Amino acid sequence: MSLPLKNVPTADHQNTSPQVAPASTLLDLGGVSKTFGNVQALSGLNARIGTGEFVTVVGPSGCGKSTLFNIVAGLEEPDDGAGIQFRGQSCKARDLLGNVSFMPQQDLLLPWRTVIDNAILAIEMEGMPKAEARALALKMLPEFGLAGFEKQYPNQLSGGMRQRVALMRTFLFKRDLMLLDEPFGALDALTRTMMQRWLLDVWQKHNRTILFITHDVDEAIFLGDRVLVVTARPGKIKLELPVNLPRPRGAELVTSPEFISLKRTLLEAIEEESMKSFQATTGH
Amino acid sequence: MKSRSWQSADVYWGVAGAVLLVVLWEGAVRAFDLPAYILPGILEILVSMVDLQSTLMDATWMTVMEAVSGYVIGSACGILLAVILTLIPTLKRWCLPAAIAINSVPVVAYAPLVLLWFGMGAESKIVMVSLAVGFTVFLSALTGLDQANRKSIDLLRSFGANPLMIIWRLKLPAALPLIASAMRVSTTRSMIVAIVTEMLGAYGGLGWVIYQATLQIDFVQVWAAIFAASLVSLIFFGAVSMIERKVIFWR
Repeated sequence: MSLPLKNVPTADHQNTSPQVAPASTLLDLGGVSKTFGNVQALSGLNARIGTGEFVTVVGPSGCGKSTLFNIVAGLEEPDDGAGIQFRGQSCKARDLLGNVSFMPQQDLLLPWRTVIDNAILAIEMEGMPKAEARALALKMLPEFGLAGFEKQYPNQLSGGMRQRVALMRTFLFKRDLMLLDEPFGALDALTRTMMQRWLLDVWQKHNRTILFITHDVDEAIFLGDRVLVVTARPGKIKLELPVNLPRPRGAELVTSPEFISLKRTLLEAIEEESMKSFQATTGH
Repeated sequence: MKSRSWQSADVYWGVAGAVLLVVLWEGAVRAFDLPAYILPGILEILVSMVDLQSTLMDATWMTVMEAVSGYVIGSACGILLAVILTLIPTLKRWCLPAAIAINSVPVVAYAPLVLLWFGMGAESKIVMVSLAVGFTVFLSALTGLDQANRKSIDLLRSFGANPLMIIWRLKLPAALPLIASAMRVSTTRSMIVAIVTEMLGAYGGLGWVIYQATLQIDFVQVWAAIFAASLVSLIFFGAVSMIERKVIFWR
């Protein structure tokens, strides 16, 4: 655990508009590769995430997106030769442990903890006294649509609410970089659109940097400042597509010509990669 | 949901089963005119339980004290040992085969040695019960601690948690259902081990009463002691089950 990275104030307090080109690079990945046995998951992946940016990542299934996230979360080390820079400092992946707020695909709520206690799990482990953490979380509940649910247990909640508790846990763990791995993947289409708009609101209010994995192209464009398309395995960045759509974004955006044209570009790129990974697995 | 249905229907069936057993028992004794040394009548046993009230109460109190002390000590040691071995995987690889080897022999086999080392008093019974309960709880706890979701562990690590925090906040609660079921089974086991050890050498307790009564060919008294033991075992089992349902509410 590298101490210099810790306790640096987060971007929360700065009031930079996400529309403005990011002033500084928060995370810089250079030549990141990862091999498991004889499977190469990532091969020379380069990416740069600016402070305050919302970057979405799409790609065919099994393209190493999750491997990328595990590396950025600090859970796995990339192969030798990779260069990771966080806030301008070179570091190992494991130095990122505790410096990135990570939300995996499943909500992973603890069934023996109430909504409020699940939400404070991360900050409680940081050492914040429980009472103080609860008071902080209680104030945030309405914003996450969970007012009045603080004493409920996860098995009493709907999928959308569970996902919001998990998001609240991620937001309360104040770190410059938030990693969200298909957080809405398991939700029905209607709930998902609601959650996407809500996430944009919360993100703009809190001014975080978000790296967001999805397999849904609409979601990638609707949310992102930039969309990164990952190639079929071994994964690297195939396409980097800036999304210059105005914010705040409303539901009508998805039918606008600009949106459709971006979607066409993305679909073509992904289609090509999906074919590759399909052929690789079927042997044609 | 499960516990509610258990409370209503299953209790009636259980009571009905017990009544049927009593009727069959008493019926068999009267129909075949069985002598008391084969099978005394239930009424006779109950009357003797009242007559022997003070002897039985003392003996039951002693056995319960031994069983519960051993139960608490054994459970605590079992859980603690499992936590330590989970924190130090190398130690776990060293100790687990030995633990399984010791556990594969019925604990009662160690009773003569334990009596030799700890004497005829309550200490030897408490040690025996601790051993029996301890190993059961230890092995279940070890399995339970290993069962925590890999992804949940990774999530906690990403929050900067150290191994101790992961044990306390995630692995131990996740292991509770398995630990609790081992502790539930261990309630009756602790009574059995306490009684059997008392039979092998003691100054009091239900096992001692049974042994003495057998020597005196007083089989009604043997049955009276067995009834007292069953009753106490049932209460112990019921109490622990109730606590289990309260503590592990999320299942």
